[in-house]
Amino acid sequence: MRTTSSSTLRLALVAGAAALLTSACDGRQLYENTFSLGWPKPVTTQAEVIYEIWLGSMAAGTVVGLSVLALIFWAVVRYRKSGEELPRQVRYNLPIEVLYTVVPFVIIAVLFFYTAVGENKVNKLTKNPDVTIGIVGFQWNWQFNYLADKVQVTGQPSQPAQLVIPSGKRIRFVQTSPDVIHSWWVPSFLFKRDVVPGRLNTFEITVKKEGTYVGRCAELCGEKHDRMNFSVRVVSQTDYDTYIAGLKADPNAAANALSAALTSGSN
Amino acid sequence: MTLILDAAPPIANRRPNPGPGAKIVKIVTTTDHKTIGLMYLVTAFVFFLFSGGLAEIMRAELARPALQFVSQEQYNQLFTMHGTIMMFLVAPPLAFGFANFIMPLQIGAPDMSFPRLNAFGYWLYLFGGLTVVAGFLTPDGAAAFGWFAYAPLNDVIHSPNLGSDLWIVGLITAGLGTILGAVNFITTILTLRAPGMTMFRMPIFTWNMLVTSILVLMAFPVLTAALFALEADRHLGAHVFDVQNGGAILWQHLFWFFGHPEVYIIALPFFGVVSEVIPVFSRKPMFGYKGLVFATIAIGALSMTVWAHHMFATGAVLLPFFSFMSFLIAVPTGVKFFNWIGTMWRGQLTFETPMLFCVGFLFTFLLGGITGVLLASPPIDFHVTDTYFVVAHFHYVVFGTAIFGAFAGAYFWFPKMTGRMLNDRLGKVHFWSLFVGFHLTFGVQHWLGGEGMPRRVADYYASDGFTTLNTISSIGAFALGLSTLPFIYNVIVSYRRGEKAVGDDPWGFGNSLEWATSCPPPRHNFVTMPRIRSERPAFDLHYPAAAGRIDMHATPELR
Repeated sequence: MRTTSSSTLRLALVAGAAALLTSACDGRQLYENTFSLGWPKPVTTQAEVIYEIWLGSMAAGTVVGLSVLALIFWAVVRYRKSGEELPRQVRYNLPIEVLYTVVPFVIIAVLFFYTAVGENKVNKLTKNPDVTIGIVGFQWNWQFNYLADKVQVTGQPSQPAQLVIPSGKRIRFVQTSPDVIHSWWVPSFLFKRDVVPGRLNTFEITVKKEGTYVGRCAELCGEKHDRMNFSVRVVSQTDYDTYIAGLKADPNAAANALSAALTSGSN
Repeated sequence: MTLILDAAPPIANRRPNPGPGAKIVKIVTTTDHKTIGLMYLVTAFVFFLFSGGLAEIMRAELARPALQFVSQEQYNQLFTMHGTIMMFLVAPPLAFGFANFIMPLQIGAPDMSFPRLNAFGYWLYLFGGLTVVAGFLTPDGAAAFGWFAYAPLNDVIHSPNLGSDLWIVGLITAGLGTILGAVNFITTILTLRAPGMTMFRMPIFTWNMLVTSILVLMAFPVLTAALFALEADRHLGAHVFDVQNGGAILWQHLFWFFGHPEVYIIALPFFGVVSEVIPVFSRKPMFGYKGLVFATIAIGALSMTVWAHHMFATGAVLLPFFSFMSFLIAVPTGVKFFNWIGTMWRGQLTFETPMLFCVGFLFTFLLGGITGVLLASPPIDFHVTDTYFVVAHFHYVVFGTAIFGAFAGAYFWFPKMTGRMLNDRLGKVHFWSLFVGFHLTFGVQHWLGGEGMPRRVADYYASDGFTTLNTISSIGAFALGLSTLPFIYNVIVSYRRGEKAVGDDPWGFGNSLEWATSCPPPRHNFVTMPRIRSERPAFDLHYPAAAGRIDMHATPELR
């Protein structure tokens, strides 16, 4: 009995050590799992920048948070009342006060540096994007305009709009709204931009990974705000050309063919 | 002389048994800052219960996918009114209630500078608040455009209901009450301090109310103007917020120019409350008092410069400036944390309920503060703004400061207000159930937001994968709601039969002047005024031997 339990224990220890070792080997994996906080893996060049800022900030935030928590916890546990004597009535300690003012400043200066560099990359607009797409958000659906090809797709209440874009290309989006503010958000792109009436918002995205991604409206826009979903389907350039040609020939058929392809699970 | 004074009957005996009518007349006509303070606190707590009830309906709806209890339109009304009530009718009035009762006592004043203006401010708040809530009684329901009422969703085309108008005029009215209250606080603090009470001997709570009131004067009139313009747009044919003129972004600028200072208007008074409580239960003075005052002023100043971080996703603001200012505000906030920890360091800590709530405050606000620093980064906002991550963040900040702080203050000053103690055992039940319920409710929402759940949605699909976390969050919300019951029971029972507060200072180590007068204080607060020679006159009075031991400089122990 004793041998069995001790050998089980040894086995568990070895397994645990092995698990720890593998996770330690894959430090990057561990880093992402610890700090991603449920964020989807980035699929665009821009999202990769955002993701790195997020992971780094989370790591810094965790270190700072745990340090301060440790101080609070230590004070609460260590300095519980232990006698009737009044403690020393300390009021000031200049070196420590200077230290705890300067250190946070250094931390936020570093965070701001990465933020400023990152946001310039994310918001960068190029002279000649490969595709330009107009987004119209309205109560309560989306319309996607393929500006160069002069075709468009409009969502219906029962059938969310689908945007089809080629992978690996730089896509420019130009947005506006005819009624109230909406916000065009694709969680997998780690990106949203408000769709503001009376205003044109422009941004660019390069999607690296083909697939279908869910999109949502992120700004309250009235009663059916929660129904303003859409999807983004990222395909190869060839498939994209075929899709646009089909759309030109018969907008309805193209949409149906695509949704049929979607339900059958092909990509 | 003595004979004449003795001949006059004591005030309490003139009307041996005032009936309910007399009590109502007394409340309606009172200009006593202590009575008005209690009226603010009770009214704000009733609004808190109502607004919390709205939140429970929302959590019930979100617990599982599909719509079960309310329609989308009703859901929009629920979160609009929940946010509005909490931000306008609960948090600032709680602060005003404490400030009305405590601040004149802390500076040794007999009342506020303008007692009748004070009463007027309260009644504006009450009737403005009732006007906002009355939207629920109209045929088309209450306002449903969110508590920040973005244009053009707030115009008469997209929100034609009467509830929206009641929301606007109600907030104008309540906001005027807030502005007048702030004028009164500033005047009182500047002009009615007792001899010896220099600015740098004022308690931190009083300092924080001064800075808060200045913020109110800078922020609220902008909101009032914007609301008047909105109402003119809706019914007088004005065109201030027309989209063709950039009205959508103009509204956001005006609203958040008020809205971000508002966050600090909510938070600063409760930073003040915990700064009063922690030293008393650590048996030490506030560590780094002057640094803390300057940190408060810095937070106040910076809070006026960060409003556009609510607009990072609009594509219409200068990102680096507002990002840097938002990061910068973390520095004075961090200083405050070290002041509080430094006060506890090497103290003699006891954990009566007020102190327990302060530790809960430190823990909760720390997490909310850290997610706040993350949100100062625009690229991070591009993903998580308008998601449940932000919902979690601001509940950690606002609930962490205003609600944890208000409960700390309630347990701390209840003996000063009523002459009786709240039951400590029930208080601990209250704290732990509230603490666990709160973190269960809002902790998981960080993940929900990151995974892709937008805020303000009545529904989500089972295929979205949000179900488990939403169910956990709802269970936490119900526990959080139930945690209020022991508090209500405690207040009712302790008010009538609670243990009597012993002496002027039932906690034993009070610092500021309110602990140098009776519980509750007489009509004009002080029979005698102690000498004020430091920022803790009551402590000096009660521990004359220790008063000489206060050393201004670093001690060998901390070197």
